[in-house]
Amino acid sequence: MSLSAHHAPEIDRNQPAVVVDDLHRSFGALKAVDGVSFSIDHGRVVGFVGANGAGKTTTMRIMATLDSPGSGQVRIGGHNVVHHPAKVRRLLGWMPDSFGTYEHMTVLEYMDFYARALGFKGADRLRRIQEAMDFTDLTPLADRMSHKMSKGQTQRLCLGRALLHDPQILIMDEPAAGLDPKARVELKNLIRILAQEGKTILISSHILSELGEMCDTLLFIDKGRIVHHGDAASMMRGTDTTGETLVNVQIAAEPAKLIEWALTAPLIKIEEETKRGARLRIQATDDATLAGVLRRMIQDGLPVVDYHREERKLEDAFIDMLGQIDQGKLKTSPPPLPVKNDE
Amino acid sequence: MTSVAPLTDFPDRLSPMVVKELRQGLRTRLFGGVMLVLHLLLILFTLMSGGAGNAAEVSGWFDGIITLVLCVILPLRGFSAVADELRARTLDMLVLTQLSAGRIVFGKWASIASQSLLIALSVLPYVVARYVFGGLDLFGEVTVLFYKWLGGVVLAALVIALSTQRQFWLRAVIIGLPLLMGGCGMASFFMLSRMSAGSGASLTTFSVFGMVAGGSVSVPVMLGLAVWLIFFCLGLAATRIAPAASLLAVVKRSVHLVVLLILLLLAWVTSMGAELTVVSSALLALVMLDVLTERVNEVPSVYAAFYRHGGAGRVALAFLAPGWATGFAYSLLLTALVAVQTWQQRGLEAAQLGLISAASMWMLAALLQILPTRHARDLLPPFIFLWLGLNLVVTLLTSMLMMPFAMKSVTAWFTCALPPLMPVGYASAQAADKTEFLQLGLWSALLWPVVLLVAAVVAWRGTRSVRQEAWRMTHAQEGGGAAT
Repeated sequence: MSLSAHHAPEIDRNQPAVVVDDLHRSFGALKAVDGVSFSIDHGRVVGFVGANGAGKTTTMRIMATLDSPGSGQVRIGGHNVVHHPAKVRRLLGWMPDSFGTYEHMTVLEYMDFYARALGFKGADRLRRIQEAMDFTDLTPLADRMSHKMSKGQTQRLCLGRALLHDPQILIMDEPAAGLDPKARVELKNLIRILAQEGKTILISSHILSELGEMCDTLLFIDKGRIVHHGDAASMMRGTDTTGETLVNVQIAAEPAKLIEWALTAPLIKIEEETKRGARLRIQATDDATLAGVLRRMIQDGLPVVDYHREERKLEDAFIDMLGQIDQGKLKTSPPPLPVKNDE
Repeated sequence: MTSVAPLTDFPDRLSPMVVKELRQGLRTRLFGGVMLVLHLLLILFTLMSGGAGNAAEVSGWFDGIITLVLCVILPLRGFSAVADELRARTLDMLVLTQLSAGRIVFGKWASIASQSLLIALSVLPYVVARYVFGGLDLFGEVTVLFYKWLGGVVLAALVIALSTQRQFWLRAVIIGLPLLMGGCGMASFFMLSRMSAGSGASLTTFSVFGMVAGGSVSVPVMLGLAVWLIFFCLGLAATRIAPAASLLAVVKRSVHLVVLLILLLLAWVTSMGAELTVVSSALLALVMLDVLTERVNEVPSVYAAFYRHGGAGRVALAFLAPGWATGFAYSLLLTALVAVQTWQQRGLEAAQLGLISAASMWMLAALLQILPTRHARDLLPPFIFLWLGLNLVVTLLTSMLMMPFAMKSVTAWFTCALPPLMPVGYASAQAADKTEFLQLGLWSALLWPVVLLVAAVVAWRGTRSVRQEAWRMTHAQEGGGAAT
């Protein structure tokens, strides 16, 4: 799927795909977005996490040119969303959190309408529709009335519509909300394929475990501010905020032997004794140090049968992190921004 | 992989919105049902009119049913046109295509206008048949049919404008009342005219605005005004769904100003000055309704668009920037133009009464800003309800208080306190008091633009930080630096 010449706006590959810089947006006295800054490189899949009312949707709507910033700026593909909304719209695919379809209109007519609205004509339009419907597996449903489809099918229709103009950047607001497990897996697979094709994707979701599987990076927003960013794996291990790793060790001997060993070992604290071993807190996060600890255990004669890093649920990690921020134990750390361009 | 069949039902050059609306609209049961019932009835009426004797009554029914379909049923198809998009949250997806808010509402209107035209054209064979059987004026009949279609599509634009209100009951009240009154009025007019004249010939010179003005206005002027009314109504709708950063207000206000200037020019150079003055006043009232109900804009890029044009841009900003505060300045400008025209064409008293009428609109806008209604998401519904409430009060006061004054032949000076009541008081005032009454009324009416001016200044100052941001954006761009 490549853009035809008259539809392809210039994209500045030297700049990140998305730059949000000190974005503010208020609704009366309510500060919905309060100084949000982040950037996303080309081809990255980024999860946008936050409670209801945290400012996710407002930020995403401004990025999609559906709302305007109070101050600050957003650049998509190097184009300012306020100054060049038409160019930005051609680069963007938008999937809202909830939407309806049209009565008395088949799936094919629905796609045809949006393809027309995007300015495609004749054979080019048909090709676009065919590609989008094939990708989302909607071709067998072409003659189905669009308002009589299941939630999963409707979500695929919305994704197909968003892909009609082959956007380089996709913004998806709660795309998995309300889907049954099968439809959720289907959607996740489609997003994976899009990511493999090099699309830049920003997804918000309440189902954090899914985001963890799909996303390279997670952005956490709370009360209109980015409070944290990092990769999902380190979030789940808790290593990104504490600099420590929780390891669960089981041995084929009395747990006391392990406890005795741990009391004398450097960098290790005993978190809890378990039935067949112990949970140890190691003051390191890198693989080499963790492997070194295991090696020492074996060298010291401990019959280790299980040694693995503990992973929290992403939801727990998020709540834990918010708690730490509230108590002042953790400072908010918005991701660094690239050098501003001269637009 | 199977392939999809290309859709060739509508050509590429048609607006996507029109194609969508036609695909949906032509499939509805309502359209098919109306078409079927209409044709069954028309066949019946045509056969009945062939029997002579009762031709006049049958003609009345013939006209009535066509008027009902073209001027009531089809315009009402726009009842939920925009509300449905808002409810289903499909509007965002439309905005992200190449469709502007204006094209979206135009597409919805054009679809209804096309369906209406389809029905009007399908009626033509019956008109010819009645001409063959009954010997009626064919040209007159076709002209009347055209006016019905035109009236219907203007009403459709009005209904679409009000369909931007999400609440069903609100639309039902706002659309229902005027449409019921207008539709019934039009139906009665056509039927009564038909029955009294016996044929359609008397209606060939029918002119709504001509009737209002007490004279005849040329057909091109009337057609032009119908087009402007459609533009006005669709502009009203587009404003309510356009993105916050839209500069639609600039286009609308520029067009309104040009239309008003054309009317002033026509009044100056033709013999229709007095009639066109009434038309200008009606136009002014509608424009004031629009500009005084726009939310004050808080998007820096909107103001930056003016600042980029230097001094001229800053002057234009004061009159054309979206929002009721600049709308007030714009309404002052238009009122001054209409007042001068009225003075020229109909004398000083008429001009003074015109200013008092304008003050009634400013009074409503001022009340809107003083009351908690100023926080409303859309100022149009509270404005309309205030207007309806005020009319009710005026009617009650007129019947309760004016009657004793009128019977005793005493001038009702108290009516000077309320601009909408003042024309009634003026009409019943003693001849010797009229000049003084107008003077007092005018000074009293002046209170409301002053109150609104204060509110406008406060609202304008409220956008100071936004305008400062716009100023920074403009200068950052001019300087080639990063925009803030």
